[in-house]
This record gives sequence, structure tokens and C-alpha cells, in this order.
Amino acid sequence: MKIAVAIKRVPDMDTRFKIAPSGTAVDETGLKFDMSDFDGYAAEAALQINEKQGGGEITAISLGPDVVQETLRKALSMGLDKAVQLKADAVPFDGYAIAEALAAELKGGSYDLILFGRMAIDSSNQSVGPMVAELLGLPCISAVSQLDVSDGKTVKARRELEGAYEEVTCPLPAVVTIDEGVARPRYPSLKGIMAAKKKPLEVKPAQLGPVTATVAKMELPPERAAGRILGENADAVPELVRLLQTEAKVL
Amino acid sequence: MSVSQLVYALLFTLAMGFFAFSARRLVAFLRLGRPDPRLDDVGTRLRNLGLIGFAQTKILRERGAGISHALVFWGFLVVTVGTVEQMVQGFWPAFDLPHLLPSPLAFVFNLSQEIFSVGILVAVSWLIWRRTVATPKRLRGEGKGDPVHHGEAILILSIIATLMLSILVESSFELLTPGPDGGPREPLGQPIARWLSLFFVGSDPITVPTAHLVSRIGWWTHAVLVLVFLNLLPYSKHLHVLTSLINTFFSNTSGPGPVGAMKPMDLEAETDVYGASDVEHLSWKNLLDGYSCTECGRCTAACPANTTGKMLSPRKIVVNVRQRLLEKAPLLVPGADAARRGAAEQAAAGTVADAAAKVLGKKLLDDYITEEELWACTSCRACVYECPVSIDQLEVINELRRNLVLTESRFPEELMPAFEGLEQKGNPWSFAPADRGAWAEGMDIPTMAELQARGEKADVLFWVGCMGSFDERAKKITVAFARILKAADVRFAILGQEEACHGDPARRMGNEYLYQVLAKGAIEVLNGYEVKTIVTHCPHCFHQMGTEFPQFGGHYEVIHHSEYLERLLADGRVPLEQGGDKLVVAYHDSCYLGRYHEITEQPRAALKRALPVMTLVEPARTKSRGLCCGAGGGRMWMEEKDGKRINVERTEELLATGADTIAVACPFCMTMISDGVTAKSAATPVMDLSELVAARLREPTAAS
Repeated sequence: MKIAVAIKRVPDMDTRFKIAPSGTAVDETGLKFDMSDFDGYAAEAALQINEKQGGGEITAISLGPDVVQETLRKALSMGLDKAVQLKADAVPFDGYAIAEALAAELKGGSYDLILFGRMAIDSSNQSVGPMVAELLGLPCISAVSQLDVSDGKTVKARRELEGAYEEVTCPLPAVVTIDEGVARPRYPSLKGIMAAKKKPLEVKPAQLGPVTATVAKMELPPERAAGRILGENADAVPELVRLLQTEAKVL
Repeated sequence: MSVSQLVYALLFTLAMGFFAFSARRLVAFLRLGRPDPRLDDVGTRLRNLGLIGFAQTKILRERGAGISHALVFWGFLVVTVGTVEQMVQGFWPAFDLPHLLPSPLAFVFNLSQEIFSVGILVAVSWLIWRRTVATPKRLRGEGKGDPVHHGEAILILSIIATLMLSILVESSFELLTPGPDGGPREPLGQPIARWLSLFFVGSDPITVPTAHLVSRIGWWTHAVLVLVFLNLLPYSKHLHVLTSLINTFFSNTSGPGPVGAMKPMDLEAETDVYGASDVEHLSWKNLLDGYSCTECGRCTAACPANTTGKMLSPRKIVVNVRQRLLEKAPLLVPGADAARRGAAEQAAAGTVADAAAKVLGKKLLDDYITEEELWACTSCRACVYECPVSIDQLEVINELRRNLVLTESRFPEELMPAFEGLEQKGNPWSFAPADRGAWAEGMDIPTMAELQARGEKADVLFWVGCMGSFDERAKKITVAFARILKAADVRFAILGQEEACHGDPARRMGNEYLYQVLAKGAIEVLNGYEVKTIVTHCPHCFHQMGTEFPQFGGHYEVIHHSEYLERLLADGRVPLEQGGDKLVVAYHDSCYLGRYHEITEQPRAALKRALPVMTLVEPARTKSRGLCCGAGGGRMWMEEKDGKRINVERTEELLATGADTIAVACPFCMTMISDGVTAKSAATPVMDLSELVAARLREPTAAS
């Protein structure tokens, strides 16, 4: 099956972020970057589909400056077959601008299946996948936790709901955005890393769409107040209970 | 030429010819292994050969079997002189070595032959009894997939016994025949033969022809059996008779080179196979180890994983290497076995799916040695340390682990977060790198960067390690050690946020790629500050940076804090309070100190200096025999599902000493033993050396 997986390079989220002097972005100095978690699930889902069916080709696509090549190589080291970088100086906030660039690249690729992560873990927009589907005129199922395309004609997808799940189907080709639960991304073996160095990585200019939405201001949440010690023995309990009821409102 | 000479010459030529064939075949099989130069530092190799080989120092680590074996071994060396004499006699019957020697030497020769024949006979009888009746656990196998060749062992022991008996029969009956001058023979240094012969000279003396006949039967039995024995060896586990001395010479387990260092891998090499999944990916020396194992099982008896009920048996690993080699090699070595070779070619051509194809389709990994066994290893090195013939079981385990991780990306899922943490955060638990130096807040400890900015230099870099930086319990060790350094006026600094794991856990878990990335990163930082001396309280950091970093251009003097504390205390640099509590302390040896670096006395000496009124007690297994805490080899990050928990086993031993304090010198041991104490619902405190010392620090009286 010919599959495309869109991949975003995101900072390690387990970091204490600082705001850049511009006030509209995080300060990237000292940050570590990796593939967005959900994109990892999508890449793994694609690999498993083709491993099960045999043959096929999986293309990783990422939009951004040259540093995204590192993330694309990681995808290749997991076992994806080739990569395309849509070169742009920066990744705009506006998902539509990105979606147009991706759609332009995907349009002529005759892909059976186009996978996205449910969202990028840094921007949490959840918009690019569905927009791409719209631009390509393809059906879209979002936040999929189980995926079956074994008949080669239809997508059978499972989506988790609050306390339930639903099964959704649509014909191929289609766009699917992947939630966690599909499969844990594999750890690239050294064999995979070495093979990835020789796999094709094509660089093309990104044909970004118009940017209409921009970040006006970014702020960190207020520092958490320090804890309070009310006392050291049973005498402190009534006060603790009172505060939990009145202040914290958890009782 | 007499008929007997002719017969002997024929037998001898046949036997030697067949032996040469067997030997060539075995050497050709070894050549399937990867190259591994082992001719450096011949001096150290000869020393190992002398001590471990000829002086049998490792064998003698166990009393009963050790003395018996040493007796058989030394006996063999002596008796072989007689055997050579006999071989010459086969061609030239008149040859008589004692006759050619000056009489004192002839006396010594005859006496030595007798004494050692009897010695071997006694030892072998005891060994047969032990194998058939007593059967200690280590001589029994692990069951399926771990064959123990009992029958072979008893056959060989019986042959040795018969050989010795035949020597005695020959010489005692010869004494009853006339000498070359026709007169009666005078025994020369032959008290035993003389004594035996006296049984036949009493009231009904044996006739000369009968005595001659019996003596000749003895001679022929020995002569033929020696040739049979020689040709049985290459096809039995007793191949070790021929290879173990060679193996000891070529081994690196007691040097030359850094002991316990894992081999570096060339990650740029064009290959599809990283590590080893089958015998041809191992080094020729690993294969020679297979030949040299006689299945004594001392490794397995010392293995913490095995003795607590895990699947791993280091002996089985080595025996599996030999089995697989002997199964596969005949198909790969031209001429080793022409018929089977033909079958292999056919199989390769895909024409016949026969037995050979089946053999080639198998692998050492999975078909002989399972993942489960490999991941059970704590890399404690007890197996390597105990092996009497210097086999390196651990290297095979490590090479197979490398294959699992680097080629197949196959490992316990618990390791994924550890790998990711190491890669992303520079520590295996994914703590925020920014918090690495948090323990030092308010302690006025400079970082290397701060010193450099001020144009100053530290004498010593205190490498804190991931445990010491992030683990709540281990941070107390760090603080205690830093307090001592300050009290002793050591000019030291830390790296703070610039410190990141050196990759040792990744290497031990088979992830050489991640290891090299981390190690090279750490070396770059250290070289950037021109660091010369490093002190650390983690034995794993100590081993990695001191012993393995030179592989990548990191050359530092790395000192473990146990040794450093001992020096500071010996020099009187640590101001201590007088007196103190009468503690009873049991010290637990860390594997990476005790067995990897033979650091067993320094920590104890440090304890004695710091706590003069303390009583030091030793657990049942201690020093070079110390039982692992269970955390090494990446086991720290894996579940321990099978059998008894190793840390509980170790803690029970430590508690059984009656100690009121358990001392450790490793943050990993600290975690494992503390958990063990909790599991046993005991309250015995577990303290690091530095904490015990720091508790006795004399605080400056006037804090100005």
C-alpha cells in the first residue's frame, strides 16, 4: 500500500519552557527536539500495515527548515522508505497555510492512505490533517485508535469516545489521523539507522498557503504557590479539612 | 623389527594421523570466528598461564574438587614424561629413560611416576564417586537445552583410572622379571611397585614368564589406551585437556588490557549483523572458550540469576556455543566433512530441503540461547571470575544482547523509557537535565564552567552520576561525599548541568550506538575542561570512565570514592569526631568494585579509619565472591519476575551477619539493598560509606 505519513518536529515537552524575546514563541535555545508522539504512532501504524500486507511504500513528509531532516531520518530509521522535506524557514501557526503546502505535495502522489498524528503535541491544533483531506477531496477519520485497511479498499477505524467507542468506515484513499493506542512506535535499530542514511530524502520548497492566523502573545502559566505546612500532628487536621473544603474545594 | 614394534608403529601412526585430522578440523572451525588479536603483552599472558593454568589458582578456589583436579593435572604433567618414554619404547623396546639418567635423577623419575600415578588414581576415584553418588548441584544440568555429559565424564575418568592402574601393573610385575644383565632387578625409587610385587613372591612365587606377560599386558594396555584417549578428547567435553592451557594464555579475563571492558564496535562498518546471532559472528576466542569448557558449572553455581531461579546459566551459554559450532561448522568448512558439504551446497541452491538446510536455518540466538536467558544477566562477572580456564561467558552474552538491540530492536519493553531518557535527557529516568545540579544548591560548590569563567581550575572533578544527581536517596550520598570533600579542603568542582550519562547502562543493555553517542559527548565535555582527575561515588561511572573511555580518547585518572576516602582518611585530611558508637557493620561489595577492579580492601579500610570502634562482619559470600545486588547489566530497569528476587537473597545474607548497619559503596546497591531490607520488614539502616564517614565529621566550631 502506498502510504504517506506527515511528521512534525516538536520540542521535548517535558521541559521548563521560556518565552522568546518576541513574546510570541518559545525560546528554542537548549531545547531538544523529536518527532511528535502521535506522528510516531502514525508511522508505526503505517509500518505495520505494510508489514502485514507485504510490499508497499511509505513516504514521510515534514514541513520546516533543514533541521526537520533529522526527524525525517528518524522516521526512515524506523523503516519508512523515503522522505520529503517541504522546505520553509519556519512552521507557521496557521494550519491552513501548512495544509495547502502538504496538499500540493500529496496531490500527485496517488497515495492509498495519508496518515497524520491526531495533533502536534506542541501546537495542539488538530487541524492540518482534516484540512488536507478537504483540500484533496478525500474522506477523513480523525483520532483513530485502531486501524484496519486489510481489504485494500476500505478503512475500518475505531475511535475512542468518553466511556464508549465507535467504528467508522470510509473508502480508500483516505486521510486518517492517529490517536495513541494504535501501536507503540518501534525503537530504531542500528541496522535501521544505517539503512536510513542511504534512503532518499527529497527537499522541495513548501508552497505555503496564505497565513491569516498568527500568535499575538504567548505567556507562561503563573508559578505555582509554595505548599503550606499547617502543623505537624493531629491538631492540624481540622484546619486541613476546612481548607480542603473552602479553599481547595476538593471535599 | 619385531612384530610388536610393527604393530605399535601401525597403531601409533593411525592414532596420530587421526588426531591430526581432528585437530585440523577443530582449528578450521575456530577460523570461522571473527578475528581478535590476542598476542599482545605476552608477559601477562605467560603469567596467567603460570598462575591460573599451571598453579591452578582458580581451580583451587574450591577445596575438595580443586585439590583433586590439581592432583590429576599435576600428575598428568609428570606421568606424561613416562608416557613419552613408553612411546619411544614402542619403536625401540630397549629404551630405558632411568638408565640414561644419573641415578639420583632416575630415582626421582621413577618415584614421581609412582607417586603421581597413585595420586591420580585416588583423586579420580573420589571424582567418580562425587559424580555418581554425591552429584553436587553444579554438575547437574538446567534440563532442556542444557545437556550435561555425565556418561562421557565417567568414561574419561575410568580411562584415566585404567591408565594409572596399567602403569602400576607394568612396573610392579617388571620387578619380578630378570634385569637386562640377567640378574634380579633392583627397585630404584619404586616403593609402591616393590610393595605390590611382594604379594607375588611369597610361598607360591609367580613364574618369570607369567610376570613378564602380565607386565607386557600392563604396557600394552597403557600404550593403546593413551592413543585411544588422545583421539577421544577432540570429540568429548574433555577437549579441555588439550585446549584449556591455550585458552588461559589467550584469554583477557585477567588481563592483559583493561579487565571487564566491553569490546568497542565499529559502527561505521558495512554490515547487516551487529553483535552476534550465530557462532560465526563471535570471535575465534569465544569459540575456543566453547572447546575449553568441561562443564564444571562453577560459573553457574556463582551466577546470581541462576541461583535465584532465573533461566540463565553461563555454563549452558558456553556449551551452546560449542554445540552450535560443531553442528554448523562442518557445513561451512571445506573438506571438514565432504558429504555434508555437498548437502549444504545443494541446500543453498534451493534444490533439496534437507537436514543441512535445517541446520543452516537455525541460529545460536533463539534456537539455543533465548532472549529470556540473556536479559537475566546482571553483568556481575561472577561467572568469568570463577572460571578455572578463563572463559569469558559475559562477552558472549553481551554480543548476543547487542544483536537483539542493534539488529533486531528486540528488548524488554521496560528498557524503552530508559533508552529514550538516556537519549533525550541524558539520564535513564528522564529527569529534567536542568535539575542535575539541584542537590548542590546552597552548598557553595562551583561548576567547572564557573571556575573557568573565573580563570581558576579544580584539582578534582566530582562526577556525580545520574543516581547521585536525581535519586532522592542517592542525593544524600552525594551531599555527604561533597561535605567530606569540603571538610578535607579538596579543590573540586562539578559539571552541573553539563554532566550527562556516559552511556554505560546503554552499553550493558546492548545499545552500543546510544552508548557511543553518550560516551563521546561526555568525553568532549571532559576534554573541553582538560579534566585529569575524576572522583565518583558510583562504581559504574568509575568503571566506565576509567576503564572504557580510553577506547574513545578519554584518558583520566578516575578514582572511586571508597578509595579516595581511604586516601583522605589515611592522610588525616578529614577532621573527625573522636570515639563514636560501637557499630557492627556488614559491608556489601559492589561487583564493579570487587570483581571488576579488585577494590575490596579500600572500602573496609576507610570504614575502619572513620569508625575506629566499629566491628566489621562479613556476609557468607564476600569480596571477589560477593553476591550481586541484582541491579547491574541494565537489570535496574527491568522487571524481575522469575524466581526469588536477587536483592532479597543478598539482603538476607547481609542481615544474617547480625550487623546493625549495612554499608554499601554504590547507589544502585543502595536502592536494591534498601528495598531488600524493606521487603524483609527489617529496620537495619543501609548507609553509603561516605554517609558513615560524614556522620563523624567534626563541624567547624565557630561558624564565622
